[in-house]
Amino acid sequence: MPGGGRCPDCGSAELVEDSHYSQNQLVCSDCGCVVTEGVLTTTFSDEGNLREVTYSRSTGENEQVSRSQQRGLRRVRDLCRVLQLPPTFEDTAVAYYQQAHQLAGIRTARLQKKEVLAGCCVLITCRQRNWPLTMGTICTLLYADLDVFSGTYMQIVKLLGLDVPSLCLVDLVKTYCSSFKLFEASPSVPAKYVEDKEKMLSRTLQLVELADETWLVTGRHPLPVITAATFLAWQSLRPSDRLTCSLARFCKLANVDLPYPASSRLQELLAVLLRMAEQLAWLQVLKLDKRSVVKHIGDLLQHRHMLVRKAFRDGTAEVDAGEKEPQGQGQGQGLGDGDVGSSSLELPAGKRPASPALLLPPCMLKPPKRVCSIPPVSTVTGDEDISDSEIEQYLRTPQEIRDFQKAQAARQAAQSVPNPT
Amino acid sequence: MDRNDSLSPFDQYLASPQGSPGTPVFSPMMHYGTGLTPQPVQSTDSLFTLEEEQQQATVATGQLLKTSQQATQEASDQTPQLFESQPLTTAPALGTTPLYPSPMTPMTPMTPVTPMTPAMPASEIAELVPQLHNIVCTVNLGCKLDLKSIALHARNAEYNPKRFAAVIMRIREPRTTALLFSSGKMVCTGGKSEEQARLASRKYARIIQKLGFPAKFLDFKIQNMVGSCDVKFPIRLEALVLSHQQFASYEPELFPGLVYRMIKPRLVLLIFVSGKVVLTGAKVRSEIYEAFNNIYSILKGFRRTS
Repeated sequence: MPGGGRCPDCGSAELVEDSHYSQNQLVCSDCGCVVTEGVLTTTFSDEGNLREVTYSRSTGENEQVSRSQQRGLRRVRDLCRVLQLPPTFEDTAVAYYQQAHQLAGIRTARLQKKEVLAGCCVLITCRQRNWPLTMGTICTLLYADLDVFSGTYMQIVKLLGLDVPSLCLVDLVKTYCSSFKLFEASPSVPAKYVEDKEKMLSRTLQLVELADETWLVTGRHPLPVITAATFLAWQSLRPSDRLTCSLARFCKLANVDLPYPASSRLQELLAVLLRMAEQLAWLQVLKLDKRSVVKHIGDLLQHRHMLVRKAFRDGTAEVDAGEKEPQGQGQGQGLGDGDVGSSSLELPAGKRPASPALLLPPCMLKPPKRVCSIPPVSTVTGDEDISDSEIEQYLRTPQEIRDFQKAQAARQAAQSVPNPT
Repeated sequence: MDRNDSLSPFDQYLASPQGSPGTPVFSPMMHYGTGLTPQPVQSTDSLFTLEEEQQQATVATGQLLKTSQQATQEASDQTPQLFESQPLTTAPALGTTPLYPSPMTPMTPMTPVTPMTPAMPASEIAELVPQLHNIVCTVNLGCKLDLKSIALHARNAEYNPKRFAAVIMRIREPRTTALLFSSGKMVCTGGKSEEQARLASRKYARIIQKLGFPAKFLDFKIQNMVGSCDVKFPIRLEALVLSHQQFASYEPELFPGLVYRMIKPRLVLLIFVSGKVVLTGAKVRSEIYEAFNNIYSILKGFRRTS
């Protein structure tokens, strides 16, 4: 029994050295409080109180680390905890932050950048472990601008030479869809709007896969596409009750922010579905439009692979002009960037089915905003004579100089006069 | 040549081993947008006419469409020859189709005219010539400049010392902008070709001379050239970044294009889903052409995956 020790809880001096399995413990025999565990204490005052000291406070590792770095590391750990990431992520993110801090460019950066750096390290860790975290989420947590974040992110990836895989779309769909508050009835969500999570998830995944296949995802922010797909999936599971609900209202119900591009993604997705519907015999007669096609999304998704192949010509397989389409499409007809409305290709004589539209990203299907004219061939050699008159047009005449000086003086005088109070 | 004959060897090249097993071979011709070549196609059987024209040593000035890109090995080897052996002054002519007959005729003996193999005609690859859009160059005028005096005596000058410590001067022909620093160094941007950049820099130097400074024209150097081109087919950027991870960086949340950092030549390329490619960081024109040839052969590999 160590001399002079008292139990901090009940104040008794009856301390017994006991061991729990192989670990030495000092236990108060009156209240049973474990006073110390193990034999590693380092500070005299702690030893006096018979309390254990945590490793990070006892080894002095923080004394070698600057205060800003300590703050940054604490921020990284807090972010990991807020996002409820698995514990191993925290260690990796901390390691990245420490690595980054070794670089001269980062050590001398502003505080704002260091704060954003904490978010970058967390994001890189999540991306490498296929945890779907978007930059928007991190920026909201950091109260940072996306521009500042993107600059720091690209810089740190380049400096550390890291290999960061792309955002995993499937995982993002699952996480994002689960965040929609539509799976239980509540005062704001009427019963007819409540949906089964598994059904909605699987249908959304199929729609996102369809969007990916038809060039709606490449080059675009992934989240608005998923929002549009979730909306369509939800609508199509009970179209009779839900067709009246708009995208904005849907997001409000589900307590999710509506990203701005989501409505245009929705229109694009509906256009793709409509073209697919034209290939199904029993839907051709129905003459669907953007609203009625929602009712048949289930059927369309069931046969989506075959329908996409039939509905669209391969836009990438640019076949030589020597081949002619067996359907007898008009020759020499500049399709321009390809017609989205394949109905415009229908020949007026007879009811020939519309020739398949091109499977291209929307930016290639829209007509160019401005005509890119080829610049005239310039025959400049670089060593031509420069005429004096040409140079003189850029020089002020003495009268102009006088006028300009007078105007400047007047302006100075006006500025220097104090404002009458 | 019978039309059927011209189609059959071509059909062989359509059967790509990379294609998904389910996709049938589509035959229709496709016209893509204006882009580099706004002229409408003259005939639909452009492969047929191309072979004809090759033999006649004239180049189709109409819109040439994508043939199958498989047989391009020899063609892509040809293109460096095309560009490097031509004198600099005719290089701009390559970017515009109407002038093809004149610079092209001395070149055609180099292109192997083999009617049996539907090789990519050199003219078609040459159509995909990157166009230069901007040249940044620097010149040392060799004397200290009084920026206040320049701003006073020149009409086309703008000087705001609190914002930036240089005079911004612009001329109309060639349409360029110059930054003049008090040390006598000048940066000139906006030229569309090396010669234009050089002429513009000389004009700025002449203006400074007329303003009374003993300006010279020392160390003219082109620092950066920016060009762009359109490969005319969509590109799966996600697949490209997976296969070229060490060079490519694609963050759709930040920027819609893929940033490709090529090692040889050392250039940065921005590749977009529409097939448009922007090349920047070159010091000489041949670097842009070389980089474009490299990226074109890489992008062809992603063409069949849809």
